[in-house]
Amino acid sequence: MPYYPTRKLTILALDPSVKDGRNMLRTQIEIPNEALDRGPRGYRVHIIDYDSTSNVLYPAARARAGVNRDDDLPDDPWEHVADNELLKDSEFHAWMTYGIIMKTLSRFEFALGRRIGWSFPGHQILVSPHAFSDANAFYSDLAQGLFFGYFPSLDGKRVIFTCLSHEVVAHETTHALLDGLRERYMDASSPQQAGFHEAFADIIALLSIFSAESVVGKMVDLGMPNVNATTIRRSDMTPAMLRSSALLGLAQEMGSELSGIHGQALRRSVSLPPSRDYLSSSEYYEPHTCGEVLVAAVLNAYLEVWIKRLRAIGDDAKLDRKRAAEEGAEIADRLLTMFIRAIDYCPPTDLQFCDFASGVLTADWELNPKDEKYDIRTSLLTWFKAYGIDPRSEGSPGRQAGSWDPPPKATVFAYDRTHFESMRADPDELFRFLWENRGPFNLNDQALTRVLSVRPCVRTGRDGFVLRETVVEYHQQLKVFARELSRLKIRKPDGMPEGTEVTLYGGNAVIFDEYGQVKYNVGNSIIAPRDKHQQRQTDRLKYLWEHGAFNPGASKIRAFAHTHRMRRTGWYRSVDIEQDEEG
Amino acid sequence: MRSKKKAASPGGNIPSAITIRMYNVGFGDCFLLTFHSANRDRHMLIDYGSTAAPRIGHAKYMTEIAEDIKTNCGGKLDVLVATHRHRDHISGFTTDGDATGKIIFSLQPDHVIQPWTEDPNAAPKAMTATTTWGKKGKPDDKQLTSHFLGSLEDMHNIAATVAQLARKGVIRAGAVKRNQLTFLGDNNLKNLSAVKNLMSMGASGKAYYVNAGMKLNNLLPGVKITVLGPPTLKQSDSIRSERAKDPNEFWQFRSFWASQSMAARSMTEPSGVALFSNTANLPRTARSPNVRWFIEQSRAIQADQTLELVRDLDSVMNNTSVILLLEVGDRKLLFPGDAQIENWSYALRNKQWCELLRDVNLYKVGHHGSLNATPKSLWKLFRHRGDANAHDRLETLCSTKSGKHGSARSGTEVPRGPLVQELKMDSGFNSTDEYRAPDGLSRSITISITGGQA
Repeated sequence: MPYYPTRKLTILALDPSVKDGRNMLRTQIEIPNEALDRGPRGYRVHIIDYDSTSNVLYPAARARAGVNRDDDLPDDPWEHVADNELLKDSEFHAWMTYGIIMKTLSRFEFALGRRIGWSFPGHQILVSPHAFSDANAFYSDLAQGLFFGYFPSLDGKRVIFTCLSHEVVAHETTHALLDGLRERYMDASSPQQAGFHEAFADIIALLSIFSAESVVGKMVDLGMPNVNATTIRRSDMTPAMLRSSALLGLAQEMGSELSGIHGQALRRSVSLPPSRDYLSSSEYYEPHTCGEVLVAAVLNAYLEVWIKRLRAIGDDAKLDRKRAAEEGAEIADRLLTMFIRAIDYCPPTDLQFCDFASGVLTADWELNPKDEKYDIRTSLLTWFKAYGIDPRSEGSPGRQAGSWDPPPKATVFAYDRTHFESMRADPDELFRFLWENRGPFNLNDQALTRVLSVRPCVRTGRDGFVLRETVVEYHQQLKVFARELSRLKIRKPDGMPEGTEVTLYGGNAVIFDEYGQVKYNVGNSIIAPRDKHQQRQTDRLKYLWEHGAFNPGASKIRAFAHTHRMRRTGWYRSVDIEQDEEG
Repeated sequence: MRSKKKAASPGGNIPSAITIRMYNVGFGDCFLLTFHSANRDRHMLIDYGSTAAPRIGHAKYMTEIAEDIKTNCGGKLDVLVATHRHRDHISGFTTDGDATGKIIFSLQPDHVIQPWTEDPNAAPKAMTATTTWGKKGKPDDKQLTSHFLGSLEDMHNIAATVAQLARKGVIRAGAVKRNQLTFLGDNNLKNLSAVKNLMSMGASGKAYYVNAGMKLNNLLPGVKITVLGPPTLKQSDSIRSERAKDPNEFWQFRSFWASQSMAARSMTEPSGVALFSNTANLPRTARSPNVRWFIEQSRAIQADQTLELVRDLDSVMNNTSVILLLEVGDRKLLFPGDAQIENWSYALRNKQWCELLRDVNLYKVGHHGSLNATPKSLWKLFRHRGDANAHDRLETLCSTKSGKHGSARSGTEVPRGPLVQELKMDSGFNSTDEYRAPDGLSRSITISITGGQA
């Protein structure tokens, strides 16, 4: 019996409003092959088509013979179905949603070289493609699921389905996956940590779309008009042209009503001119505006790398269209891998964009030290800095600029009482190692320490070179009263009562190399050894205090549904208001 | 009746004292101000609405209050103010049912003050545009206004649907949440009858559709009236962040409410109507155990989402409130309706107004004492704050009913505990929540004026 690890599935490349000539722009994605139950219901995703507005449960999509076989390559059920049939078939909606979630999941697993789980205790995420009549879509960890709303178009003639937007489904799936990788990123901490969830979801969703050749082909059409059927003019290949016509053009093609769901991340970020001042201005304290800065840096780097690559190929006057599209898709795919891997090299708590920048550069340098073909890291570094995101680490001479450094030579870890083989899988063994080395790790001995995850992984570089690492995430939390803060050199926020209980967080990502030695130790101790003012904790408490996180009933966890709505109704709230005005 | 100071009696039309009568409308606002002068008393009614009956009083409390207003103003109102469109501020003006609005109409107010959002000449625009964002560009002031009013219309539609669905149990929520949904939904209904009555009273007398910065000094002799809010859209634009000046931000807001309104409309179709014509609805019995848990989660999430939505639109509506500062001789009275911080922030930027606000002697506590309507920076301005021994102490009036709105656990209860505590400590606090028989339906404060005409 032949074994087919993957199968093909036809989906809409963007959303129903984006056309390829007279038909909807489609793409065929490759997803893990599995024997599916009705739903579809597979080993990681369970589609439950329940609509809470009308209290209707739709019959689960069938897995017909031919579509669901394990003796041969299963058929692509939608390849030959006409556009209007796809739109009105709830089974296609369910399949497309399932497909994009599986594709996003497997893309993460491919990049990280290991299986990844959800943050909730369950292996199958529950997904409702027609969850309610509402112009919103979101991930809820409590409900262990993804919810996609639908709503009537403004002229009342059509129904807009958020589950038929590739971007929306990939975005929400990324929220769920990131939550699985770094559960503390949903905590209230700083504008940047809040903005990061949105920015990362936007980046992964957009790059996933761009890694489909049919989508990049569309961008080439929009930004670089054909000389003839197969070639484009070299003089059209400028970053400005790509930005204004290809990306903005694409943003406009994507249904205006649908693109509103995420507040037009693509449009806003493409048109945000570079400035190093955004992140320090209070206007960018809103999580989603803050996130756009990171997305803008990434999109600009993407365009630059693409243009550089196109200049390097082709002849003096013109270039093959298809080749231009292939390169665009290839670069998007490469960036996708970099950004997903970067999460392993990011501190588990209180993330700032500058930490992520160092994480991205380190993750890629580890696998592709040369980076000759695309020179991606140089472009990323330039654009991160252009938007005021200076990597946290400078990177020692001889290493990649902006990447993390290994622990200083003077730091000596004791390895002799622990067994690396069990440290690769066992949190208790790992904790023993941490505890024995609490000095070098700068653990706070008053705090509760917890090993959140131990993940062995095998990653493959572009040259086939294999990298084996073990990624460990630990977390510390220390509960103190506000009156004790000064003893820790942390400034109590103005007006906070002495008896207020505050929780301070710290935590690290520790990367072990294949010999079980500490390669990187990335993170934030609760008390920073060299910071007299404990700036990180001081800033965090001030931000939380001023933003009402200590008010009774204030949710400790940001709800994505809420953030998404705020993106759209933000205009109303955008009058400049002094913080903490509530009585 | 409770007399604070003995009234003096200078001559002419200049007020020598003001009596402020706070009616116990339960959850709502209703204030009758009487300006006493030698020649004659003049009367100003600020709001008359209720969404929950007072603890004390009769079934016909609204009629009793209307009759009492009529008696106290001697059958004639000089000024009528309807701060904003919420039911708890205008339901008394309705001419349906008990028709208390007919009694008020018979008082023939000379001047009717309402926010600019009520101006019948600024017609709300239905959201018909289906073009892409980029092509819409920046709306001019007139378009901006009519689209904003269109959004307010959408909010009424949404509220109506939510109230209806919560009542029917279609939105599945526990008792507390369901009460909040129906309460907020009802309060944001359009109140068409009351709105029409206000409009015709305005047409019979003189109508003023006001915005921040307007002065109405000739309505009552010896009374200077400064309008501190609501700001027009152009005015709030001046304090808007740079980014929000991008027209797309406005269109996002506009289309969000339009979409929600469309969605709400589609919800009122009978339950069980399927989205897909070719797909049968599965009977309840077909709900297998492994999907039931998820269905419960989905329904709870939908109720939460809906509640957040109506809270949002409730705030927008509150912020259309007229904020009036009355100056009579050396006394200053502040009536801000339900204005929340987005409305207040325009006034609080104005240094001259802040100077005036420092001297306020009487403050009508904003939004029934909720947490978001007495900005801290405003409260700190009041220099007459002080303990019971303080000279010339600030008086505060709070028309409210506890246990109706929000919850203490989430810190959203109305009136808000810590705020009430502070009001009690630093001002002469009067709350309808504390009214007891025999004067359970209204009490009054009289303030004497020194310093003659301003």
